[in-house]
Amino acid sequence: MGNLLRSMSRIPPAYFVFAALLATLWITKPQLMNMNVLGIFIRQVAPLGILVLGQMLVMRVRSIDLSGAGVLLLVNYLIASGLLRDVPLPLVLLLSLGIGCLVGLFNGYLVARRRVSAVIATLAVTVIITGFVQFLASGKPPGNMPDVMNDIYKMKWGPVPLPVVLWVALTGLMAVFLSRFVYGRFVMAVGENPTASHFSGVPVERTVLIAHVLAGFFAGVAAIVQSASVAVGSLRLGLEMPIDAVAATILGGVVFGRGDGGVWGPFFGVMCFAFLFVVMTSFGVPEPGKQITRGAIILLAAVFYGLSTRNS
Amino acid sequence: MTGVTKRFGPTIAVNDVSFEIWPGRVHALMGENGAGKSTLMKMLAGVHRPDAGQIAIAGRGVTFANPREALAAGVSTVFQELSLLPNLSIAENLFLGREPVGRMGIPDRTEMARRTTAVLAELGMDLDPNTLVANLSIADRQFVEIAHGIKADAQVLILDEPTAALNAADVQVLNSQIEKLRAAGKAIIYISHRMDEIFAICDDVTVMKDGNHVATQPLSELTPDSLIALMVGRELSDLFPDRAADVGPVRLSCKNLTLGSAATPLSFDLHAGEILGLAGLEGQGQSEIVRSLIGRHTPFGGEVAVGGQTLHLPISPERGVRFMQRLGVGFVPEDRKEEGLLLGASIAENIGIGLQAARPGFALLARVRDTAKRIMRDLDVKAQSPAMPVGALSGGNQQKVLLGRYLAADMDVLIIEEPTRGVDIGAKAEIYRLLRALAGQGKAILVLSRETVELIGLCDRLLIVHDRKLVSELAGRDATEHAILNAALTS
Repeated sequence: MGNLLRSMSRIPPAYFVFAALLATLWITKPQLMNMNVLGIFIRQVAPLGILVLGQMLVMRVRSIDLSGAGVLLLVNYLIASGLLRDVPLPLVLLLSLGIGCLVGLFNGYLVARRRVSAVIATLAVTVIITGFVQFLASGKPPGNMPDVMNDIYKMKWGPVPLPVVLWVALTGLMAVFLSRFVYGRFVMAVGENPTASHFSGVPVERTVLIAHVLAGFFAGVAAIVQSASVAVGSLRLGLEMPIDAVAATILGGVVFGRGDGGVWGPFFGVMCFAFLFVVMTSFGVPEPGKQITRGAIILLAAVFYGLSTRNS
Repeated sequence: MTGVTKRFGPTIAVNDVSFEIWPGRVHALMGENGAGKSTLMKMLAGVHRPDAGQIAIAGRGVTFANPREALAAGVSTVFQELSLLPNLSIAENLFLGREPVGRMGIPDRTEMARRTTAVLAELGMDLDPNTLVANLSIADRQFVEIAHGIKADAQVLILDEPTAALNAADVQVLNSQIEKLRAAGKAIIYISHRMDEIFAICDDVTVMKDGNHVATQPLSELTPDSLIALMVGRELSDLFPDRAADVGPVRLSCKNLTLGSAATPLSFDLHAGEILGLAGLEGQGQSEIVRSLIGRHTPFGGEVAVGGQTLHLPISPERGVRFMQRLGVGFVPEDRKEEGLLLGASIAENIGIGLQAARPGFALLARVRDTAKRIMRDLDVKAQSPAMPVGALSGGNQQKVLLGRYLAADMDVLIIEEPTRGVDIGAKAEIYRLLRALAGQGKAILVLSRETVELIGLCDRLLIVHDRKLVSELAGRDATEHAILNAALTS
């Protein structure tokens, strides 16, 4: 019995929450259970899902990344503002990914080499980028997104929206990378015990640094998908996205230093956010109610994090 | 205790054990790891309930539902694991949950500090009660832990390996404290793997093996050899394998290593096929010497030649371990739980991590399962499968897994801190044989240990370290504890 309970507690809560939401939807609104409807809702969380891939990685090496908000804002502005209107779009997108990697490299340098608190460092980076974007915009709202991005965003592969395909593919790649390659083993070791990892010859600093660079890269990808989903650019800073990413990661069973949930746990953590939105919309919950529920989910994740660290 | 039995599932941890302890005497409880000592003591301390048998204190049968009831009945325990809260002060730890309350229901900090100072003074310690436990040395923490256990007004006191983290001088202080408690008529149960301590302070001994009671007798009737024979069924001299007949070329050469700006430079060579020991009193610089070689201590200067390269010290603290591994030097750290093993990871992962670490991060994982299985078989690691988490193994098996990591990586030079810390006698003998076999294969091994007997029995050559200098060199076969102490102190 105790053993059963213990192995139950190692299953990420995201799976239970997801199953509960699915069942609720199935019983109350069976007409919604088709891929065309659900696909639209899942597509909305694809940027979050991609951001979570990076968040999950840095949290497994006992760090955190809140700079996703800054990357999102900057990339969004660069694409929409027309500042680079003479540069071909693919190059702009490449530049966006480069910006993500660069921000990640800077975070990684601060956290791994300079041993700065990850929360403070990455939050400060977000604040700096926000100020920089406001300086570039000098009060003027950014313009429209290129139509071609929104067109691609709306394409489908069979019944599945393209952004969702991208998200699932990246998650699958990440799963293979972490389970089959040496770097994945380094991530496990550093999460388990950084000191013992150092003495076994694991390059601890480099592992943390690369985790941050990858997180920056995923933030860049997430930013592009997010930009494609909207028609016009925005200067509003959304800190919700990185916070949601942390919550989804914890719901997915990945907590600081421990990766019980693997890559798919956080994936379903994000799916919970999508389905919660569907369920609430179908029950006619107004926007403030959704906001409160979202907050409650994040709290739930924090409570679960507290429980699972106490058990270990 | 009469006919006490405890089962965990199908395994019988303690089988029909009966013995008595007397007030005013120190009773040693001995046996290899896994002999059932800890389980037996946990029953006495109310952590586990016996499945059969009877525990009586002062003639009255007792059953404890929980540790609190045992404590109320006068049984007080100092467990092996440190249970202090690092972010609280010494005083806050000692009075946790029962703070003396002053006016207005606010904890009386002055009173707490005063009483803490008094308790610590009794243990011969002069520490500020407001010091955070996190800032204490391991030894000081252990004393605070003991103060925590002793100050409860107990009749029966269980000390589970209280000296594992203490050096010789601290052990003296602890011993005198135990003398006082004995004189005060307390019954004390003392668990330790250190033979000299047992004979120094204990009156009686109970030996356990595989959950069974082997013997209870006064220590005056025993010698260290006969006591070990009771525990493992063989004599002390059998523990150590034969020494090397001859040694090969120099594998690692340390020149003019200077630990501090004013320290005397020291040099030594480590040959293939030999086991070299760093001996001397504790904390004289042995650990700094070996840690300088992998960058975890920053010496003033010096150079080390190994694997065809000459490196100038100090070397990078971040990359030193990796760099030395590439040159074929494996460093086995002393603290296997904090610095050595990934406790939550599997045996195979722990053995394989050294091999993986030698590969670039974007390479595919090396296949290590067969290697891990071979090493588990060679070292006789007792576990159901290579997938078991290392944290679930006994101390001896954990130590074998840790050594196995460096065997898997096939290092030419092994630097080993405390090869048998917290390991039972049976596993010690196996580790000695293993190290000797490795030396026989041409590996060069540098060892440091707190246990002088171990160094004498194991090593071909001993370097005596005192006050951060090499003061003497002895051949292992000529060395005695007396000679080592003499060399250290007359330098």
